[in-house]
Amino acid sequence: MRTRFFLAAALITAATACNNPLDVKPAGSIPESSAITDVVGARAALFGAYGGLQSLSYYGQDFPILLDLSSDNSEHTGTLTSFGDADLNQLRADNETIAGIWIAIYDDINRVNEIIAKVPQVPNIDPDEMHEIIGEAYFLRALNYHNLVKLFGGVPLRLTPATSINDPNGSTRATVQDTYTQILKDLDSAQAFISNPNQTTQASLGAVMALRARVLLYEGDYPGALTAAKAVEDLGQYSLAPKFSDLFAEDGSPTPEDIFRIIFTAQQFNNLSYYYLYDGRYEVAPTPDLMHDFDPSFDPSADVATYNPTDKRGQWSISIESDNQEGTKFRSVQGTEYPHVIRFGEVLLIRAEAEARVGSLDTARVKVNEIRARAGLAPIGALSQTDMINTIIDERRKELAFEGDRWPDLVRLGLATSVLGISAQQALYPIPQREIDVTPGLTQNPGY
Amino acid sequence: MRRFTLTRAAAVLLGLTLYIAGPAVAGAQQTATIRGTVTDSVSGQAVTGAQITIAGQPRGVTNDRGTYSSNVAPGTVTVRAQRIGFSPAERQVTVAAGDTLRVDFALHSVAVTLAQVMVIGYGTENRARVTGAVSTVNSSDVQNQPVAGVDAALQGKAPGVQVTQNAGDPGNGITVRVRGAASVSASNQPLYVVDGVPVQSGDFSQLGPNGQGVTGVTGLDPSEIESITVLKDAASAAIYGSRASNGVVIITTKRGSAGTTHFTFDANTGWQQPERYLSLMNAKQYVAFMNQGAENDGESDPFTAGVDDAHSTDWQRAIFRTAPVGNVHLGLSGGTDRIRYSLGGSYFGQNGIVLGSSYSRASGRANIDFDATPNFSVKTSLAYSKELDHRIPGDNSLTGVVTNAIGEASIYPVRAPDGQFAGNDYNLYYANPVAIADLNNLPTTTDRFLGNVEGTYHFIPSLSLTGRVGVDMLTMNELEWDSPLVDGTYAAQARGVAKSGYSTGNQYVMEGFLTYTHENADASSLNLVGGGSVQYNTNQLNFVRAEGFSSDQFHYVRNGTVITSFDGLPTNHNLESAFARANYSWKDRYLLSASLRTDASTRFGPNHQWGVFPAISGGWVISEEPFMGNFDQKFGKLKLRASYGATGNQDFADFSYLGLYGTSNYGENPGIAPTNFANPNLKWETTHEFDGGIDWYPFGGRLTVIADYYHRLTSDLIVDRPIPATTGFFEYWDNIGNVLNRGFELGLSSANFRSDDKDGFSWNTDFNISFNHNEVTALFQNQPFGDGENFRPISRVAVGQPIGEFYVLHFKGVDPQTGDAIYKDVNGDGEITSDDRVDAGSPQPKFFGGLRNTWSWKGFSLGSFLEFSYGAKVFNLMRIFADDGGYNYDNKFTYALNAWTHPGQITNEPRASFDGTSGAREISDRFIENGSYLRISEITLSWRIPENLMPVRSLQNTTLYVTGHNLHNFTKYTGYDPDVNSNGETSNIALGTDYYAYPRARTFSIGLSTNW
Repeated sequence: MRTRFFLAAALITAATACNNPLDVKPAGSIPESSAITDVVGARAALFGAYGGLQSLSYYGQDFPILLDLSSDNSEHTGTLTSFGDADLNQLRADNETIAGIWIAIYDDINRVNEIIAKVPQVPNIDPDEMHEIIGEAYFLRALNYHNLVKLFGGVPLRLTPATSINDPNGSTRATVQDTYTQILKDLDSAQAFISNPNQTTQASLGAVMALRARVLLYEGDYPGALTAAKAVEDLGQYSLAPKFSDLFAEDGSPTPEDIFRIIFTAQQFNNLSYYYLYDGRYEVAPTPDLMHDFDPSFDPSADVATYNPTDKRGQWSISIESDNQEGTKFRSVQGTEYPHVIRFGEVLLIRAEAEARVGSLDTARVKVNEIRARAGLAPIGALSQTDMINTIIDERRKELAFEGDRWPDLVRLGLATSVLGISAQQALYPIPQREIDVTPGLTQNPGY
Repeated sequence: MRRFTLTRAAAVLLGLTLYIAGPAVAGAQQTATIRGTVTDSVSGQAVTGAQITIAGQPRGVTNDRGTYSSNVAPGTVTVRAQRIGFSPAERQVTVAAGDTLRVDFALHSVAVTLAQVMVIGYGTENRARVTGAVSTVNSSDVQNQPVAGVDAALQGKAPGVQVTQNAGDPGNGITVRVRGAASVSASNQPLYVVDGVPVQSGDFSQLGPNGQGVTGVTGLDPSEIESITVLKDAASAAIYGSRASNGVVIITTKRGSAGTTHFTFDANTGWQQPERYLSLMNAKQYVAFMNQGAENDGESDPFTAGVDDAHSTDWQRAIFRTAPVGNVHLGLSGGTDRIRYSLGGSYFGQNGIVLGSSYSRASGRANIDFDATPNFSVKTSLAYSKELDHRIPGDNSLTGVVTNAIGEASIYPVRAPDGQFAGNDYNLYYANPVAIADLNNLPTTTDRFLGNVEGTYHFIPSLSLTGRVGVDMLTMNELEWDSPLVDGTYAAQARGVAKSGYSTGNQYVMEGFLTYTHENADASSLNLVGGGSVQYNTNQLNFVRAEGFSSDQFHYVRNGTVITSFDGLPTNHNLESAFARANYSWKDRYLLSASLRTDASTRFGPNHQWGVFPAISGGWVISEEPFMGNFDQKFGKLKLRASYGATGNQDFADFSYLGLYGTSNYGENPGIAPTNFANPNLKWETTHEFDGGIDWYPFGGRLTVIADYYHRLTSDLIVDRPIPATTGFFEYWDNIGNVLNRGFELGLSSANFRSDDKDGFSWNTDFNISFNHNEVTALFQNQPFGDGENFRPISRVAVGQPIGEFYVLHFKGVDPQTGDAIYKDVNGDGEITSDDRVDAGSPQPKFFGGLRNTWSWKGFSLGSFLEFSYGAKVFNLMRIFADDGGYNYDNKFTYALNAWTHPGQITNEPRASFDGTSGAREISDRFIENGSYLRISEITLSWRIPENLMPVRSLQNTTLYVTGHNLHNFTKYTGYDPDVNSNGETSNIALGTDYYAYPRARTFSIGLSTNW
C-alpha cells in the first residue's frame, strides 16, 4: 500500500512537474522575432538572401531557361505546357512558370528588405560589418528589380518588409523610369557600403560596377554604360578565362573572368543540365537557328549530325546525342556548376556595344575581337556602326547562350517583333494572374 | 490559468485512481463469488461472449462453455447478461460474504441489434438507447480476409463509410471517408481510437510514393478485433472534439473471461492473380498504328514493319505473377475470478502479384484484466507489430514497374539473348520494368507498439473514476536502392542512388474521467461522464540520400560518394482537453444526450488556442407511446432520433499561425530566410452537423432498419490561400471557405429465414447504401483552385461543385472528314485553349454500399458479399500516353485501333497522329470514364466439422472454408479497377485518378479454424 501511495504521488508529481503541454517551440524554424537579433543572425540572413537566388524558379532553373525559350536560342522538347507556351510566345497570364519567377524574385526582395530594415538595429554590431551586409543586400535588391523590369516593365517597388498581407506600401506598379531610378539608387548604396573587392560568390565592388554597366545599357544610357564598364576594366582584377569551357566547371572552379556567380552544390543543386541534357529531362534544346549562328555552314533543315562549328563556344554549348541536338553548356550530373550572374566577358561586350553606340567603332572592334579570339574566331575588320552593333549583338547571343540574356536583349533592342515575329505587346511578360487577383490596384500589361 | 488546471486534471485523476485503490485492498477478504452459465433458450447451447454486468459494472464475458465468474462485495446485487442477438436478462440476487452463488441465464435470441452494446467513447451504450448516428461492424466481417488491413476489410460494410483502395500494392494505404470529404487542406481521414485511446494517423513515409500512409489500424491484426464502431454524426463524435470532424472509428480488441485456458487457431493460405489484364497492342498492331500516325502527318515511318515487329513482348505478363498469401493466428484466453487474459499472435505474409513486391506482418497482443479488489480493477491492452513491406520503387508514379510495363512498347524484348536485361542497346523507350523490379528495391519496416493501462475505481457501484495512459510508438525504417544497371534511369547516370529514411511517431495520451450511472427499476437512467485529457505527440525523422557507387554490389548510403540530400528533425504537437457528457433515458422512451468538449492545441496561436465543441441529441421511442396503440406488436419497435453538434479539424501543419524563419544555406555558409507569414487569427475548421434518423425493428425484430439523413456544413476551412507575392510569400494559412455534405444512409439487416432447430436452414441478409452530396459553398474570393498535370488543374475545388471535380476540355467527337478530335470551344474564340475547360464530372460516387447474404444449413454455410459504387468518374491518366494517337512512343490500348482512317468514317477514336495534330493527346473528358462498378467481393463456403467426426475430441467448432475475393468486377472502366486513388489518402483534391495504379488481385484461399 505504501508502494502504491508512492507510485501515485510520483505520477502526480511527474505530471505536474513536466512542462505545460501547450508550451511547444517550433523545431527546424525559429520565430521571426528572434531571427535577426545578433551579428550571427545578420550574416545568416545575408547568406539566406544569396540562397534565394538558387531557387529552381530563379537562377537554379526557370529564369535562364525560360528566357532563352522565349527567344530564338531554345525550343521546347519536353512536356511542361508553361514552357511550350513560352517557346511559342503565346504566354497566358496564368503561366505557372512566370508566376514562379515573380514569386521567387519577390521572395528574395523580401529577404533583402528584412536585412536592410533589421540589421542596422542589431545591438552592438560592428559598423563595418553592418555596412558590408546591407551593402550586399542593396546590390541584391538592385539585381532583383532589374531582373523584374527586364521581363515585366515597371513593377511594384516594395522596399520595406510587408506589415500585413494588405500592406499598401509598394503594392502597385511603379513606372519603368521609377524602377530604374530605384535600381540605380540601390547600386549607389551598395557601392558606398561594400568594401570587399575580391569575392565572386558574393557581391563585390566590381560586381556592383558591372551590374551598373548592364543596367545603364538596358536603360539605353550608353555613355553611362561605357563609363561603368570601363571602370570595371580599370579595376584590373578581371580577365577572360583562357578556355571558354573553364567557365562551366562542374565543381565551380574559379576563373579570372568571374565577377558574380552563384554557388550550387550537390544538395543545393541547379537543374540546368538536367533540363538541357538528352540523358536528363531534355525539356529544352537549342534551335537549329542558333546552331546555324555558331556554324554558318550548318543547314537548319538538314540532319543535325552535320553540325560542326569551329566556334569553341558552339562546340561546348551544343552537342549531338542520338541524332538530337542538346544544350551542353551545363554538364554536371548533379547540377553543381556556378552559373554566372555577370562575368567579365559580358562587361567587354557591354563596353563594345556602348563604344559602338557612341561612335568609337575602333575601340568596339578591339573589345569584340577579344571575345572572338577566345572563341577561336578570326578578328573582324572595320564595320559600319550598324553592322558593328549587329555583330556585337550576335556575339552576345553566342557568348551568353542559355544564360538567360537573349530574350532581354531582343526586347531592349526592339528586335523581338522582327526576329520572333511577335507583337510589341508580347515583348512584355504578363503580370501573373494570381498576383492581379489578390492585389487591389495592380494593373496587367496590355494584351493579356 | 485554465490550462494549468486542465493540464494536470487528467494526471491528478489518474494518480488519485491508483491511490484511492490502495486502502480498498484491506476489504479484499470480504468478497462473495457469483458464477453461472449462459445458454440459448431454444437450443440450450452455451452462449459465448455474453457480457456480464454486476451492479451496473461490466464484469467480463462468458467463455466458450458459456460460463462466467466474478467476485463481488456481499449484499444484494443485480446481475445482467447480454449478447448481440439475444434479449438481455437480469436477476437480482443476495449473496453473503464468502459464499459462492450460481446465477444461470437462458437468453432468448432475437435477430436484431437492439441489445448490442456499442462503444461510444468514454463509455458504452445499448443500441436501443443510442441517439446519434453510429454504425457497427462485426468482428466476423473483418476476419479471414486476404487483406492486410482492417480498413480495407471495412469496404462496403457500414453505411456512410466510404473506403477506397488507393491501389492494390500489398500494404498500401486506404482512403476512408465518413460522410464525404470536408476539408481541402487538413486531413480527411477519420480519427481512430483503439481500446479507448486515440492513435496516430498520417504519412510517415519519406521515400515513398503516394498512398503509403499510416492509420490507426496499421499493424493491427484483424483477428484481435472484437468490434468496430463508427461515430458518424457530429453529436456522437463531438466528445472527441477537435479531431472528430471526419468521424471516429472506435476499435475494441478481444478480452478474456474466467475459465480454463481456451485456445483458438486460424490458418489460411491462398494465391492471388491479376483480376484482369489491360488490352494493349502487340508489336504488329503497335508498329502499324505508329506508322499510320506518321503517314497521317506526312512524316516518314518511325518503325519498319516486318523488322521492328518481328518480336512481341507482353510486358504485363512479364511483371505479373501468381503470388501466395497466407495468415496464421493462435490465441489463448481464460482466467480466474480476478485475472482474465487474452493473448494472441499472428503472422500474415503476402507476395504481390507484381514482381518485387511483398508484405508481411507479425503481431502479438496481451490484454489482461485484473480485479485487484471488488472496487478496483486494472486493464492493460498491449500490442506489438512488425511489418516488412517490399514496395516496388516508383509504384503509383510515372517511372514504376507497372507504369513502364503499360507504357513500354511491345516491340522490345525483356532480355537480350545473353540473359542480360534489354536496355539502351535495344533502344528501350522506358527503363525495363522487369529490370526495375529485379534490381531496385525499397523495403520498409514498420514497428508499432500500442499499449494502454487503465485503472477504474468504484467509489460506490454507480460512481467510478477511470485513469488511463495510452502509448502509441511507431517507427518506420525505409531503405531504397536504385541500381545503376537499370538503363534509362537517373540512377544509371548518377551511378546508383541509395536512400535511407527513418521516422518515428510517438503519441502519449493521459486521461482521467468520472462516470456516474443511475438506473431506475422503470428503465429510466442517467449516465454522466466528465474528465480531462492530455496528449503529447513527438515525431522525429532522419533522411540521407547518396549517389555515386562503385558497383551494383553496394546498396547502402555508406558506400556512396556524394550526399545529395539529408534531413533530421524532431517535432512536437500537443493537445489538452476537458470533456463532459450526460445521457438521460426516461423509461427507455425519451432519450436525451448532451456533450461538451474543449480542446487546446499547440497548432494554434494564443488568439484561438481553445476550441469548444458542444453537441446535443435526442431519441423518442414513439412505438411505446400509448397513442400508438399496439403499433409495437404489429409493426415493431420504432425510434426517432435527431442530433446537432460541432466538431473540429486541426490535422494540418504545425506553427502555421506564426511568422517563421527557416534555413536557406548558401554553399557552406549557413543562411536563414523567412518561411511563413504570420496569421495569429488562424483557428480550427469547424463542422456543424444535423442528423435525423429512425431505428425500426419490424417483424418481431427479424428486420432492422436504420436510416439517417444528415446535413454537414464545414466552415472556416484552413486553406493556404494566395496573397500578394510582393510580401515575400505567395500564400498563407487562413480560414476561408465552406464545404457542405448532405446525404442519406440506409442499413438493413434481416433474418429472412430462420429455423428453430439450430441445424436447420437459415438465411440472413445485410444491406447498406449511402448517398452523399458534396459541394463547396464558399472559397477565398470564390476562386477555384486545383491540382493537376503540368500545373493546369485537372482536379479542382470550385464553388458549387464537389471537391475534386474534374476540369478539362470537352470532347465532342471525331470529325468524320478529317479524323481530328473536336473539342467544345466554350468561349467561342475559335481556338481550343485551357480557357475552354469545363466541369467534367465528380470523382465522388452518387451512392455506394454493400450486400451480404449468408445461407446456413447443418454445418454448412455459404456467404457472399457484393460491393457497389455508382456515379463516380475516374480519370484514366494512363490514356494521356496510351491513347494519345501515337504522339508518345508508349504502347497503346487496343481500342485505339478503332482510330479514324478514311473520310466519312464515324468513330470515337481520333486519327493516329505522330505530331499530335489530331488533338488525340489533349487532356479532355475523353479520358474521364464511368467509374461505377459492382464487385463480387467475396464468396465463402464453410463447413463446420461435426465433433463426432473429429479425431481429437477436444477440438470444437472446427471449420474448414474456401473463399474467393475480388472474384469479378462488373464495370465499364478500361483500366484495371475503378476503385482507385493514385494520389493516396492524404490527397484532398486530386481524387479518383488512376496513375498506373498497382492492380488489385483476385484471391482464392482455403482455411481452417478451430478451438479447444
